[in-house]
Amino acid sequence: MDVLRTLFTLMIFPGGLFILFNGMVYEWADRKLVARLQNRVGPRWFQPLADMLKLLAKEEVVPASVDARLFIGLPVIALAGVLTAALYLPIAGLPPAYGFPGDLIVTVYMLSLLTLCTGIAGANTNNRFSLVGATRTLTQLFSYEAPFMLAMLGPAVAAGSWQIGEVMAYAAGHPVILTQPVGFVIALIGLMGKLEMRPFDAPEAETEIVAGAMTEYSGRGLALFYLGRYVELIAGLTLVAAFYLGGIQNPLDYFVKTLALLLVLVGLQTLMTRLRIDQTVGLWWRYGTLLVLLQWFVTLLLRS
Amino acid sequence: MKIGSMLVDTLRSFFQKPVTQLYPFERQKTPERLRGKLHWDSSNCSGCCLCVKDCPSAAIEIITIDKQAKKFAMRYHADRCTYCGQCVKNCRFACISMSSEDWELAAQTTAPFTVYYGEEADLEHLLERVPEPAAG
Amino acid sequence: MSTDGNLSGKRFIVPIGPQHPALKEPGHFSFTVDGEIVTDASVRLGYAHRGIEKATESRNWTQSLYLLERICGICSHVHALAYCLGVEKLAGVEVPPRAQAIRVLVAELERIHSHFLWLGVAAHEAGFDTLFMYTWRDRETVMDILEALTGNRVNYSANVLGGVKFDVTPEIGDTIRRGLEFLEGRTHHYLEVVTTDQVFLQRTRGVGVMSLEQAETLGVVGPTARASGMIRDIRVEAPYAAYADYPVQPVLAEAGDLEARFIVRIKELFESYRIIRQILDTLPVGELQTRMPRRVKAGETVSRVEAPRGELFYFIKSNGTDNPERVKVRTPTLCNMASVLVTAVGHQLADMPMILAGIDPCFSCNDRTVIVADADGAAYTWEQIRHHGIAFYQGK
Repeated sequence: MDVLRTLFTLMIFPGGLFILFNGMVYEWADRKLVARLQNRVGPRWFQPLADMLKLLAKEEVVPASVDARLFIGLPVIALAGVLTAALYLPIAGLPPAYGFPGDLIVTVYMLSLLTLCTGIAGANTNNRFSLVGATRTLTQLFSYEAPFMLAMLGPAVAAGSWQIGEVMAYAAGHPVILTQPVGFVIALIGLMGKLEMRPFDAPEAETEIVAGAMTEYSGRGLALFYLGRYVELIAGLTLVAAFYLGGIQNPLDYFVKTLALLLVLVGLQTLMTRLRIDQTVGLWWRYGTLLVLLQWFVTLLLRS
Repeated sequence: MKIGSMLVDTLRSFFQKPVTQLYPFERQKTPERLRGKLHWDSSNCSGCCLCVKDCPSAAIEIITIDKQAKKFAMRYHADRCTYCGQCVKNCRFACISMSSEDWELAAQTTAPFTVYYGEEADLEHLLERVPEPAAG
Repeated sequence: MSTDGNLSGKRFIVPIGPQHPALKEPGHFSFTVDGEIVTDASVRLGYAHRGIEKATESRNWTQSLYLLERICGICSHVHALAYCLGVEKLAGVEVPPRAQAIRVLVAELERIHSHFLWLGVAAHEAGFDTLFMYTWRDRETVMDILEALTGNRVNYSANVLGGVKFDVTPEIGDTIRRGLEFLEGRTHHYLEVVTTDQVFLQRTRGVGVMSLEQAETLGVVGPTARASGMIRDIRVEAPYAAYADYPVQPVLAEAGDLEARFIVRIKELFESYRIIRQILDTLPVGELQTRMPRRVKAGETVSRVEAPRGELFYFIKSNGTDNPERVKVRTPTLCNMASVLVTAVGHQLADMPMILAGIDPCFSCNDRTVIVADADGAAYTWEQIRHHGIAFYQGK
């Protein structure tokens, strides 16, 4: 029975299928809301699903100049990484499927795996757009990763634990968003950087470098990368909501809080112009990191 | 010096219906002057062929049936037509007009794009006698 | 894409085009980059050459008008206008003032739609899709006006040789006024957005600067020149059609960067609104068309008009027959293209689409034929290349 239950957890709920569909629905909501804010109609509800089915059914073209094993393996690793991260999160308002002291660090690193894989996938090909895109992806990773990590660890420091479940329990009892407002903003904007949403979409700026690191990808590989991003959207929203918006206790809590965060992300996306990569790096290191360090300092002072 | 200067636009749009028209479910009323499919009234035609001469895309052919009786027919190629309206301007007897209603001309075969205008009897006679020209 | 050793060598070339999402038409740019910084740029044009100039020689004067109108899908009216003005000058025909005023009216409406289109495209290149969507939504207003006035959204075919096809009735005048009122409000808003939005300004202010000296050396035209402080406006310098009666105030900016080009183009919209209203208020009474001979007297002439993108130049030669002997077109994009290559160097790769969009390029308009020369430098004649072509395809 235990094996079956584990399989169910991994493959169907809350990991696996559920989170994939959840991700597609949120992706649709994102696109639809952006469209509505721009006075357009936007896609119909099944559009991301249809895209995925189409891509998965298509032939995957492996370019001549790449390392084929890496080319095929990277999307799988990327998706596996974010799916693993999701297991430690309170997806759909249920308690995390697994947990151990220090799982927060593992989760945040698993979430970075997608970006890292994208970067390596771009560098693996000989395509110039991919190479420029890969450089930008990795540059951007190094700029937002540290502030985002610090922002995620802020509530953990306050809670005195590195386990997501315990930080959540602390967050439920304390108004973290009020005590650590800077951390909240950095976490949210860092999430936009992670998901390569505008204004941080320089790594895949279509008017400059086509699709960036993923230019050479088609079919299955592209679908897996997209799915990875959808899952990361869910995981990121859940993490921020759990830590800063007073924890996630039940399914209703989960959907209300994550969708509210999504709405904020949508608003920011529509109002911003894409930043150049040097501007992105400057923004994160000049303001983001310093502010979040200051926040840490204050948190530590208050705690002792 | 501000960020998010289009906030008001986006907020207003959020509570509005999208501006996109869902053609073909919604149709805008076409303006009176829209230049759609060409229509030809054979009764006044003098056979001067000014329309044929100035047509930039050779979309019009006037076929003489009986020169004495001023009987003509027209073969109009809607797929070649650029809808510029020069023929309408050229015709001194106002035989040619462009419909503002008849503008959805897409088809899956080329057959509907060759249109014959003229009197029934003439056309029947014509179709037996004058072969269809090669495309292009 | 070639992988011809450039990756291992020192030069890393990023090719933009002929097929690229930043380009709506085919053109090829190679940017040599050092990291993100562009160190060298080159351009190759000619992918969309259509041989229109040559084709006019086998069509009569009227048929050529419609062919030339289709050189550009955005500024079609000015092409027809330049051609008509030239042919009428050759034939010695005096066009009634009402017709000239209506020509100017359509030309200014076209400028509005072209500048709105450009505003959207430039915003999209910068990655500000919200501005793009809104400008294009509002552009529909002027497209609807043009459709109501001329019967078509593009390729209005408003001109005939010797006049215009249609009149401006009071009802259509009201439609135009109502549309302009809406557009004027929106234009004020967009001017505010592009001059105050901090994030957007990061992408435009100080980017792609072209000094007045550079602009003069490179011979740029239109809004691109005016954004560098150079008065280059045919409507002012050599008024044609009815522009003598409806004088234009040239809009200038000093900075020469992308922001200045945004400001110049948007402020020109206000000037267009003013001219259109003035024309509607004081439309001369009279005929719409004069008789035009089918054959045009032998001779040659030059006809220049101000297209939305700058000076449009027509050379027309007649040999006294039904058909033109030679029509030569020079579109503004060709004059401005060199400025892209000069201003690109030293900027980041991310700025390239913006700098390119800054001149409002229109590729298929400016594409021209390439002289095919063999090793001795001897070029093919038209007849030879035709025979070569026929032989080539028969051999297949």
